[in-house]
Amino acid sequence: MEKPEKLIVDGKRLDGRAPDELRPLKIEAGILKRADGSASVELGANKVLAAVYGPREMHPRHLQQPDTAVLRCRYNMAPFSVDERKRPGPDRRSVEISKVTREALEPVLFLELYPRSAIDVFIEVLQADAGTRTAGITAATVALADAGVPMRDMISSVAVGKIDDTIVLDLTKAEDNWGTTDMPIAMMPRKKLITLLQMDGHFTKEEFEQALDLAFKGCEQIYGAQRQALREKYAIKKGE
Amino acid sequence: MAEIKTGDFVVPGDFLATTEEFVPSEGAYEEGGKIYSSCTGVVLVDVQTKHISVFSRTLGPPALKRGDMVVGRIEAVRDQSANVYIGVLRGREDRELPLPNMGTIHVSQVHTAYVKEMRHQFKPGDIVRAQVLNARREPVQLSTAGDDIGVIVAACSRCRTLLEREDSKLRCPECGNLEFRKLASDYRQGAL
Repeated sequence: MEKPEKLIVDGKRLDGRAPDELRPLKIEAGILKRADGSASVELGANKVLAAVYGPREMHPRHLQQPDTAVLRCRYNMAPFSVDERKRPGPDRRSVEISKVTREALEPVLFLELYPRSAIDVFIEVLQADAGTRTAGITAATVALADAGVPMRDMISSVAVGKIDDTIVLDLTKAEDNWGTTDMPIAMMPRKKLITLLQMDGHFTKEEFEQALDLAFKGCEQIYGAQRQALREKYAIKKGE
Repeated sequence: MAEIKTGDFVVPGDFLATTEEFVPSEGAYEEGGKIYSSCTGVVLVDVQTKHISVFSRTLGPPALKRGDMVVGRIEAVRDQSANVYIGVLRGREDRELPLPNMGTIHVSQVHTAYVKEMRHQFKPGDIVRAQVLNARREPVQLSTAGDDIGVIVAACSRCRTLLEREDSKLRCPECGNLEFRKLASDYRQGAL
């Protein structure tokens, strides 16, 4: 793809969205039969699966913590998830994303309830179009709730950025490549606590505050979809 | 914010009540004077006892309680007891058991009758079905006193061939070795 002349034309982005608009979002809970909890997230062209196993006895034994459970996350991109085939297996990028995902999810879990145990979270990216780490965190939270792991709050996650000097919500691949800034954020939507904040590019103080406001609004929408996914699977239906 | 009432659907993090009004019970937790939900399910408000809880609609990790049936493997046999690694809780075969997953069967709980020799009841590697007596202790206290509980699969201690039942004894079809176990009534019939 060639760099377009402008990323925003007449207040509309390349895919026709307004600057503060999310891509079409679809979340589904409990889609994997053999996982203890699972979820899928489709955000525009992104397709992400998350599976949760545990709490279960931790192996290898020497990594067990006597007073708490250990959260283990694996973010992985399928070789066919991007235009150019990605070499399979963990790389520098996915190891880092696994780590920040773990740190984004840890604060909401009651890990101290399950000493010497492990909770495993697997995030598989099937189709990528920028913003897969945030989609992965969003999916992982729904999967954890689906597994019935006790949690303090949910985690909703979205990216904000700057393209053509405009602050926009939920960047696509093109906007990420040719934009100035990309800032993924994860937070607890009820308590308004941020658990992940990364930034690639520059913001002035004012821009940062504006971006943060926009991210809060975006997370609120994502949270609504997460709730809806859990409601569809777990609310008492008529005739039950 | 509208007041929460019985039957409302909540997800983790939903505000339920303040600690002045209620005491958090199952599926709820307290933080900074406020009570929130910790699971996905339906709210139960008990106005009489002032408890607020969330009835979880997700299955969640299996938890052992008194009377549950479990299936496990004998790890070690001693004079007074046998150690069991608990594999699954009956009815929750879909999911691994969180810790504690070790159990123990005391001689007095092996059989309804008197047991003189523990080594004639169990051997390491046997698969047993047992009932939970006390899940709060670690290891979990188990019992095999009853007709339908006891060893469900056992291997010959000489050649590891699966033993076949001969009345109340077990015979090895390979080497003819005769062995004794506390058998369940449905030994080697394939049911957990």
